[in-house]
Amino acid sequence: MKNLSNLAEAREVNAEEHWAKKGRVDLYLYRKRPTGAGTLPLLFLVHGSSFSGRTGYDLQVPERSGYSMMDVFAGLGFDVWTMDHEGYGRSGSGGGNSDIASGVADLEAALEVIEKQTGQTACAFYGQSSGAIRAAAFAAANRKKAIKLALAAFVWTGEGSPTLAKRRERLEEWRSNNTRPVDAAFFHGMFTRDGTGYHDPAVPEAIAAAERLFGGTVPTGTYLDMCANLPLVDPLKISCPVLMIRGEFDGIAGEDDLIAFFSALPNKDKQFAFLPGQAHATQLGLNRWRFFHLLHGFLTMPDRKEV
Amino acid sequence: MVGESNQLSVLKDSKMSDIRSFEYRTRKGDVELYLYRKRLNQTGENKQAPPVLFLVHGSSFCGRSGFDMHPPGHDDYSLMDKFATRGFDVWTMDHEGYGRSSRTDGNSNIAAGVADLKAGTAMVEKETGLNRFAFYGQSSGALRAAAFAAACPERASHLVLDAFVWTGEGAPTLIKRREKLEQWRSSNVRKVDVAFFHSIFNRDKPGLSEPFVPDVLAESELSYGDTVPTGTYLDMCAHLPVVNPEDIDCPVQIIRGEHDGIATEEDLLAFFKALPNKDKQFVILPGQAHVAPLGVNRHRFWHVMESFLTMPPRMDDN
Repeated sequence: MKNLSNLAEAREVNAEEHWAKKGRVDLYLYRKRPTGAGTLPLLFLVHGSSFSGRTGYDLQVPERSGYSMMDVFAGLGFDVWTMDHEGYGRSGSGGGNSDIASGVADLEAALEVIEKQTGQTACAFYGQSSGAIRAAAFAAANRKKAIKLALAAFVWTGEGSPTLAKRRERLEEWRSNNTRPVDAAFFHGMFTRDGTGYHDPAVPEAIAAAERLFGGTVPTGTYLDMCANLPLVDPLKISCPVLMIRGEFDGIAGEDDLIAFFSALPNKDKQFAFLPGQAHATQLGLNRWRFFHLLHGFLTMPDRKEV
Repeated sequence: MVGESNQLSVLKDSKMSDIRSFEYRTRKGDVELYLYRKRLNQTGENKQAPPVLFLVHGSSFCGRSGFDMHPPGHDDYSLMDKFATRGFDVWTMDHEGYGRSSRTDGNSNIAAGVADLKAGTAMVEKETGLNRFAFYGQSSGALRAAAFAAACPERASHLVLDAFVWTGEGAPTLIKRREKLEQWRSSNVRKVDVAFFHSIFNRDKPGLSEPFVPDVLAESELSYGDTVPTGTYLDMCAHLPVVNPEDIDCPVQIIRGEHDGIATEEDLLAFFKALPNKDKQFVILPGQAHVAPLGVNRHRFWHVMESFLTMPPRMDDN
């Protein structure tokens, strides 16, 4: 029996920074891939509402291992990209609230850079939370650019979502400000709001330390969209294979809402997986290796054959 | 470094020539039941018992015909070989009235199949020393496996249900099959022939299996006789649901071929939603119909099933 984490760690991985332009806004891209590799399958990781791409997908937690999803999938032979959306992390801001539509435009700008760098015009996308909404909306609007789509902690209509019911209590705040403050207590709350015992407390500490460098605020656009403007994605417009991943305790969506979205997807190459012992941030939980296993299985599905 | 979960497992492929096969017979009252086993030849390095995968056949062909098929010139149809080379100890059995097991006066319905599995798994425990196994069932074999997992939760570590049906509501195949309901009620066996085996592969959408597959299946099955029991047909036409999802407590993967007419997606998703264990997956396979293990895209079926069966262990305090 081989150990896939050993496989992932066996390869040396190198990192690159790139920049894309969306009008006058500079957008930061980050790439990790095995050193010296040629053309590899592309995997683009789309971040959510509250922390930037490198913070969420290349997290280095003191005295812990296996928290960088970019390192894991680069080690497994993928050319892994992420970006900071407008107003997040190292990217610039045009003063807007960086809503889902803005995120789709960010991804369109990023894909131009990726095509220049790799010669490839389409990626597999993974999105988490509102990053899943961004990724799904992008795939719906740019069918030829999405080879596969993995949606974790996704929400469609918002019906039956405890997290969004709570978040709507502050709807006027999201409407009247384009940014909201975030601090260590907020990041801890993200990991404990659905239940405790599914993450290492060092993780929100590391996220807070990473995000502190970027000014202590993040945009409100995706919060506003999730509270007031759902649904933002028409499943009928998504044509690629889809994997939907739902943490057992995730309050961001009702199960019926997600299964209705899954049922409506027209491409029958689709999977729905529950992950027990997981809450909202699946790739950063104690059971993240089960999530990596699941996603890797989806991304490495053999090609179809015809008689 | 803090010790943490990082065992993401991929099983190493081994050569077919390393596989050994074994035959067993067990008893269910007066009925003699045939079991077949394939696994890698155990060397001195392999001290740990490999995980057991038990394959449960459906209504129309026995365990070895469906799960250990070797068409001339093709070495990639045996599900038993595939999972044996991936490190599993793979078992199957012929249910009462099928293959090498006793031909009786009974109709070998789902309840009889559950009793067969109780006898079969007692033999597996005796031979392996293990008492929990992963089960894969196909078509009415999925009903047998699910009903067994519900009745004997201590025996089932994982459950893969392929071409399953729950209530049967709206299922095109069962609507058609009900036209002969009186025949299934009045006779405990039904005739099978080459044309029948072709119909299994062509009734939903032709072209999703290689044309020689039903011929190979027919040749194998007709060597046992030209009838099979009617019990599972009768159960699927008149007695569904025969499984309560709330009684199943192990992780479950449901696999659905895109064109399979044995159930509707709505029926299967309703079953999926009702499963109490949140370790569960629902997979639709495009380019597949009713018999995924024997379709042209069987390698995709192997891939999703292996991924489910090799999921790393949980690291929270569940």
